Amino acid sequence: MASVTHSTRERGRIVTTEPLLRVDGLEVGFPSKSGVLRAVTDVSFEVRPGETLAVVGESGSGKSVTALTIMRLHPGSTRISGSIMFEGRNLLALGDKDMRAVRGNEIAMIFQDPMTALNPVFSVGSQIVEAIRIHQDVSKQQAWNRAVELLALVGVPEPKRRAEQFPHEYSGGMRQRAMIAMAISNEPKLLIADEPTTALDVTVQAQVMEVLHDVQRATGSAMVLITHDLGLVAGSADRVQVMYASRLVETGGVDDIFYRSRNPYTRALLDSIPDLLATTDRLDPIPGNPPSLLNPPSGCPFRPRCQMAVEHCAESVPELVVVGEGHASRCHRTADIEVTPVETS
Amino acid sequence: MSDPVLEVRDLVTEFPIRAGVFRREVGRVQAVSGVSFDLMPVETLGVVGESGCGKTTLGRSLLRLIQPTSGSVRLGDVEVTTADRHTMRLVRSQLQMVFQDPYASLNPRIPVRDIIAEPMRIHGVNKEEAADRVADLLTRVGLLPEHGNRYPHEFSGGQRQRIGIARSLALRPRIIILDEPVSALDVSIQAQVLNLLDEIQDEFQLSYVFIAHDLSVVRHTSDRVAVMYLGKVVEIGSRDSIYDSPAHPYTHSLLSAVPVADPIRERSRQRIILEGDVPSPANPPAGCRFHTRCPIAEDRCRTEVPELRAVAGGQQVACHSALEPGQSLVELSRR
Repeated sequence: MASVTHSTRERGRIVTTEPLLRVDGLEVGFPSKSGVLRAVTDVSFEVRPGETLAVVGESGSGKSVTALTIMRLHPGSTRISGSIMFEGRNLLALGDKDMRAVRGNEIAMIFQDPMTALNPVFSVGSQIVEAIRIHQDVSKQQAWNRAVELLALVGVPEPKRRAEQFPHEYSGGMRQRAMIAMAISNEPKLLIADEPTTALDVTVQAQVMEVLHDVQRATGSAMVLITHDLGLVAGSADRVQVMYASRLVETGGVDDIFYRSRNPYTRALLDSIPDLLATTDRLDPIPGNPPSLLNPPSGCPFRPRCQMAVEHCAESVPELVVVGEGHASRCHRTADIEVTPVETS
Repeated sequence: MSDPVLEVRDLVTEFPIRAGVFRREVGRVQAVSGVSFDLMPVETLGVVGESGCGKTTLGRSLLRLIQPTSGSVRLGDVEVTTADRHTMRLVRSQLQMVFQDPYASLNPRIPVRDIIAEPMRIHGVNKEEAADRVADLLTRVGLLPEHGNRYPHEFSGGQRQRIGIARSLALRPRIIILDEPVSALDVSIQAQVLNLLDEIQDEFQLSYVFIAHDLSVVRHTSDRVAVMYLGKVVEIGSRDSIYDSPAHPYTHSLLSAVPVADPIRERSRQRIILEGDVPSPANPPAGCRFHTRCPIAEDRCRTEVPELRAVAGGQQVACHSALEPGQSLVELSRR
């Protein structure tokens, strides 16, 4: 397994920090009638304090399953191996009680659909109070005051009155803010946001992303942003990892991925999306469909759709190979991919 | 210049609001509130806007899947909004629809062959001809004739959307209303379907009304674009005028809110973040419906309804203080 160096660029400066989260050789399988479905295969990565790591991929690529596994929110029959180290503890080895002390406290999650993530029969304020009092020894009144403060922080207008309202009285964007308020109520060190704005309109998406960035600035928490929207990634991420058919296929700094990608899938994905700022005549789609995870093709799973595939690609799954500082790609033909330099600083 | 294939004038579609034990009507929501446009032959008109702006209701009203309350939709010599059943059949052979969700819009219990042949059966095409056309259509949309024997669940989302497109082509229509045709599909599949739509437009000389919330997709597919807000068209014009020199503050904000897949440009972009949510269409603001969120609203905007008027960029805009080409909303709103 290739390991990737521990440094991020921050305004041109190299900062080396201990990772907050370190996932090593994670494998997740779901037993089904027709065999084990491998949803996550050999996934290793790190998240450092304060950074935003975007995980990009199409449906079924394994990005959400990776997040749910970190939170230990997977079904009981799931087969898992590997390790998830968070501040020196392996989350996969924790007992349920210890895990409950981490979940929602040190690591919190924001889901795509706030309507199903919030309880419809309790007021928004009381749900935030519950989240606070599970992890902190404070009075109901203190927790309620804190809930109102949090709602104000995420931009809910008239937070005192709104705290007493129920989720159905909130609009989609406001519900997502309420969920963010709940997620940050215990000042987690790591926020996992799974498609946090996919259900929202674009003007509301811009508001919610702004709130997430403000929250990160205020609390210094790291974020794993799971999304299929490459635009969001370009605007928010420090580092990016691209997943395809349960594996990491490329990982690097945001500019590495967008301007110096050394992976045919990443490149094809970037080429296939229409541009908002320029008129294009024809799109370059990726042919075919993503492979079945129950019965994946031999060798590289992207091979049947890849323009660069050669015979060798059918023989073995390529390794994740370091191609630059903090930049790795999983492709047999990485060396043959030309990179045109772009001025990025 | 040739005649439009579809002329829409002052189209209004209302829904009743019911309450109480007897479900009495207590009010009305105007989902589409006086929309007018012409659709030209082999043209794509993009319709964009956020949820609740009325774009889907507009699409359905054009085909009378929802009965419009007032206004006119003319297809050649036929007035669609008041046509009788017999005439509606002819209308529907000319005017077809492709829906957003390829999982919900195909009957799971009948094979694909029959799904595509059904419109032809209803319109009295004989069986042999229908079978030949089904095979042709399947091939045309990138599937195989033998796929006709399978059922919808055997196909992926992208393939199902191809089946929906094949069905819409079965009667050789002149116009297809596409309601979010690619938004349920994965990114890598969207481009395939968009290219297919492009090819069949040329081949069958189709006009499209392309309804979508994804502004990048609409830029790619449309010749002209209409921007909707709370049931009204606030700006309509050629694609380049809308995207390169938007005149309505709403269009400006909408475009600036879309993230682009280019980190360098993202870092330097000035984003206008609108405050609040879209107001309820049941109780739209007086005057300009956008004034509650508009960064440059003046007193007049709160009382006077702006009408669509032509501006320098060539498009039509419903705004009292429409922006000139090159003007930046960010700078204007700072004043």
